[in-house]
Amino acid sequence: MQLSAASTAANVRQRLGAAACLLLAGSLPAAAQAPAPPAWQLEATGLLYGEQARARVVEPMGRVTRLYANGRALSLGLAVDAVTGASPTGALPSSQVQTTTGASGRTTTTTTSSSILPTHTFEDLRTAVDLGWVEPLGTMLSVTTSAHYSREQDYASLGGGLKSSVELPGRRITLTLGGGYNRDRVFPSGGTPMGLAPDSDPRAPGDNPKEVTTGLVGLSHVVSRRWLLGVTASESREQGYLTDPYKVVSLVDPATQLPVAQVTEKRPATRTRDDVLGSSVYHLDHDILYVNYRYYWDDWGVRSHTLDLKLRHVLGVASWVQPHVRVYGQAPAWFFVYGLTHGPPLPEFASADERLGPLRTTTFGGTYGFHVPGSRGEFTLRAEFLYQWLVGHPPQPDETASGGGGGDDNLRRAIAAGDNGTDDGRHLGTSIGTLLIGYTVPF
Amino acid sequence: MTSRRRTWLAALILASIVFPGCATVHPWDRDLLAKKSMRLVPLPHELAADDHIYFSKEGSAGGMDAAGGGCGCN
Repeated sequence: MQLSAASTAANVRQRLGAAACLLLAGSLPAAAQAPAPPAWQLEATGLLYGEQARARVVEPMGRVTRLYANGRALSLGLAVDAVTGASPTGALPSSQVQTTTGASGRTTTTTTSSSILPTHTFEDLRTAVDLGWVEPLGTMLSVTTSAHYSREQDYASLGGGLKSSVELPGRRITLTLGGGYNRDRVFPSGGTPMGLAPDSDPRAPGDNPKEVTTGLVGLSHVVSRRWLLGVTASESREQGYLTDPYKVVSLVDPATQLPVAQVTEKRPATRTRDDVLGSSVYHLDHDILYVNYRYYWDDWGVRSHTLDLKLRHVLGVASWVQPHVRVYGQAPAWFFVYGLTHGPPLPEFASADERLGPLRTTTFGGTYGFHVPGSRGEFTLRAEFLYQWLVGHPPQPDETASGGGGGDDNLRRAIAAGDNGTDDGRHLGTSIGTLLIGYTVPF
Repeated sequence: MTSRRRTWLAALILASIVFPGCATVHPWDRDLLAKKSMRLVPLPHELAADDHIYFSKEGSAGGMDAAGGGCGCN
């Protein structure tokens, strides 16, 4: 069949027209085909924290991030901590009046029961600001720079960090290297105690420096369509004033095991801390399982295991719920004591701070996340319960030195009692409740 | 078993988990991985709050970040 010149021209015009339409459709600006990528992101968080008969914290936090089209991002974070309440002094329970210098000045603490840990009251306000900058270098490498400053009544911290992540060819493995440096200052209320001296001794005025250097190496690996694994190892070296200026150690009468005096605590001036963290995220048919395990050790003798499990269950298009369990156990620092024997020369270092003791923590809770219809933002609401306790127990008032079996200067028999499974003593545990409200919205 | 041996053993076990083989995950297989909830830290504000809480209540520290936030709470 032969086509006339007119029909051929019309055919060509139709084809050219169709091609032009296709080209125009293909070259439409992205904004006309899909919603514009967000330029900003806001994260607002409120933390309410309360210990049974002890400290309470209200902490609002906010972060604004400017997102650039080329992958750059600039973020500014602000946080305020308002802390009030009471904190254990480190002294053993006693029915006698015990005086310690707290963070809010000199405080007299009277313990009327031998089963209640002595505490001192305090209040503090901490403000913190941080800046972050993400700079992509090519398509496989990005560098994150950060800086922070925080200030509280007796402590100031200035620091910065640098972290670089590179994706290996295939984009299944991402390597991360990072480092940070903090230059902090400690200026205790009422001056700096000498350490292992009576609390009433004169204190030194002025600041005490503290430096922290941290290095980190990490690796994440896409194992399969459903599974992401990560391993991170870090080491931090601390140097300077690492003692808690408000903690004391009881001096115990060797015959009665009752506290008869107390001295301020003293810790070494250096500490090297290491940890390895393994993380797994696995997508089940509908839910997502998060598993984290961390092993920590330092040259103060603290060793700890932390296991953290979360399961995100999707309830619908716009909401999910995420139960959470965390268990933690640590071995004590080598200079941790419940008390020291009154009379013999004191050791070089000693602390009765329960955070350096044979501590256990369990956490139960859950997060509920949801989107408000018509909004791009997501709300999260988390409620958790923590319980902390020490393995072993302080000496009972009716116990005698011979009952402990050893007469050890630092009363480690109390720890052994717990570790041997014959723990018939009191657990001076702490119950803690937290509520965390979060809102994240791009705009 | 000494502490150093335990550390190396843990590193070996972790490495064998992280490098299980040469399976391929194509770009078109990354639908689930593209979700925000599939990140190692899906809720950064929860991590920041937890770091602050546990740093002030326990003797350990460390994890995801290279630099601590600076706090006199421990």
